[in-house]
Amino acid sequence: MKLLDLIQALSTKTVKKIAYSVLVLLIAVDFIIPRHEIHFFGDKIPGFWSLFGFIACVLIIIVSKWIGHMGLMKDENYYDE
Amino acid sequence: MMSEIFNIQFLHPSVFYILGGLLIPFLKGRVKQVYMLFVSLLAFFAVVNLPYGTFGAYEFLSWELTFLEVDKLSKVFAYIFTIMGVIGVIYSIHVKNDGEHFSAFYYVGGSLGVTFAGDFLTLFLFWEMMAFSSVFLIWFRKSKSSLDSGFRYLLWHVAGGLILLAGIMLQYSVSGDLSVQYLPFHGWWPTDFQSLASFLIIIGFIVNAAVPPFGAWLPDAYPAATVTGAVFMSAFTTKTAVYALIRVCAGSEMLIVLGVIMAIYGVVYAVLENDARRLLAYHIISQVGYMVAGVGLGTPMAINGVVAHAFCHILYKSLLFMGTGSVLYVTGTAKLTELGGLYKTMPRTMIYTVIGGLSISAFPLFSGFVSKSMTVTAFGEAHLTWAFMALMLASAGTFLHTGLKVPYFIWFGKDQGLKAKEPPWNMELAMGIGAFFCVGLGIFYKPLYALLPHAVHFEPYTAYHTWETLQLLLFTQLGFFLLLKKLWCEDTISLDTDWFLRKGAKAFMWITKPLAKIEYKFIGEIYEFIIQKPIMGTAKVFKIIDTVVVDGAVNGLGKLTLAWSRKIQNAQSGQIQHYAMYMVAGFIALIVVIMVLP
Repeated sequence: MKLLDLIQALSTKTVKKIAYSVLVLLIAVDFIIPRHEIHFFGDKIPGFWSLFGFIACVLIIIVSKWIGHMGLMKDENYYDE
Repeated sequence: MMSEIFNIQFLHPSVFYILGGLLIPFLKGRVKQVYMLFVSLLAFFAVVNLPYGTFGAYEFLSWELTFLEVDKLSKVFAYIFTIMGVIGVIYSIHVKNDGEHFSAFYYVGGSLGVTFAGDFLTLFLFWEMMAFSSVFLIWFRKSKSSLDSGFRYLLWHVAGGLILLAGIMLQYSVSGDLSVQYLPFHGWWPTDFQSLASFLIIIGFIVNAAVPPFGAWLPDAYPAATVTGAVFMSAFTTKTAVYALIRVCAGSEMLIVLGVIMAIYGVVYAVLENDARRLLAYHIISQVGYMVAGVGLGTPMAINGVVAHAFCHILYKSLLFMGTGSVLYVTGTAKLTELGGLYKTMPRTMIYTVIGGLSISAFPLFSGFVSKSMTVTAFGEAHLTWAFMALMLASAGTFLHTGLKVPYFIWFGKDQGLKAKEPPWNMELAMGIGAFFCVGLGIFYKPLYALLPHAVHFEPYTAYHTWETLQLLLFTQLGFFLLLKKLWCEDTISLDTDWFLRKGAKAFMWITKPLAKIEYKFIGEIYEFIIQKPIMGTAKVFKIIDTVVVDGAVNGLGKLTLAWSRKIQNAQSGQIQHYAMYMVAGFIALIVVIMVLP
């Protein structure tokens, strides 16, 4: 099945390399892209949203898991006891 | 009213669902399937056909009820509700249980009734109809836990409904006006009766919009619903509430803060969640947070953004619920720890779900991009930087979970060797239609913008804006793959405000036990001494009169009553589900009577 081959082809090393180069390209192009809508300081800094995206992701995962393990997460049978 | 409506050549769209639903139990097999699809399509064309204006005003006691008030705002919501009705009917057309179809029909009919309601009483009537019909979509799952969830769902909504009703009554007593009108609430606490009325109405609405701390019903109930029921539920209750908020409470500043909190709260809980459908439920809260915040901002651009986002949200969220619902339908589980490796057996379902995931994440060329960005930009233009940044943070979280975590752990991750196949053709067709709309609206967004209540001065695909979104999302993806080990799902549930209901109920029972003893022993005796004895004395005198004079006449009547009550006694099962069913039947009867009577 063609769809299946396509999906499996996506998990190779070459694809990984392409993905990383896309990330580099994203930041590089951000230096020259025209800015019409400047709402706040972050819009003036090249690569701001790349950094923001990465930090947001890391923060969300770590802070949420930390809150969860502080006592928010309970065993699945918690309410049945 | 029926004749009047026929004369003016169009019908209230919920008539199709409410009267049309009555026939479902009498039809069978293919005929029933075609009939349901036909009714849902007719309702959609009824909306297309509706002219702007106020129709269907109806004297009831001393109030004037207005069933059909059509403007741009109500029409765009009715469009998406009826489109969703068609998709939902296709997705659930194989279901054998008539009750499920029946509840879904009245649920959709109720949401259309709220949308077109011109006065608060009509709005309230349909508001309650939605709660009492949708609870059956949970109960028809027929497990102990969904039965319990359904009761809690009903408790939240009855409480919210009563607060709303209190607000409506107060509004009526202050102004003498029941028409659905603009009643914004400013500040955090009511200062006079008028603002108390607005306050109660806004609270009633935000219970249905699942704003924390009143939102715990949503992630409690939706994963407990049937596979097809959850698809309907993901679309109607919260979005009807968003509609009501726009109509009545736009510009209430409190909503900005609550909405932003919601957007982030949903994301945090989604990290912890293991059940795919509950994770999506938390993301409904997060997405509705954007809408609630936008309503609070209240500028024309924000309102346009909210309406567009509600429109797109219904399509991609139902698509996501259809995708994960299909997995649940085929494999019997929606828990991420029990799933994995399904890309070999359900690749098409994966594609549909990923399209839903990219849409909710506002990826360029997908529907969320043209709607979410409008709301967020409205915050940027209003220079509310903290809200703008918080909503961007929540966007990263949305992609992290719905775009990456859900597809990864269901279709890739650890291969659990589950036996699976693609779902039945009708479920796939419904997902295909949903996916088509998600991509279509992302590219051809102008027709949607034309439906919005205000003129649109916004272009989503500017170079910088597209680039900003791509950076945010792709670097989120980098974070996801780097921290994949930390994200591995855990077999747990997370505490939410429904804890107070669940544990509170136990505490209540524990407190009432000794109270019941006191009541029985102490109060019972006092009662007997002070009240019962004198009454018995008096009663003896009356009894003499009674046996002699009245009995003869009454005996005949009594026998009749006895025969009747024996019949009715069968209806008194003591089960709340049955009572709820009678209430729904009563609602339906009332609405049918109003519609059919001259």
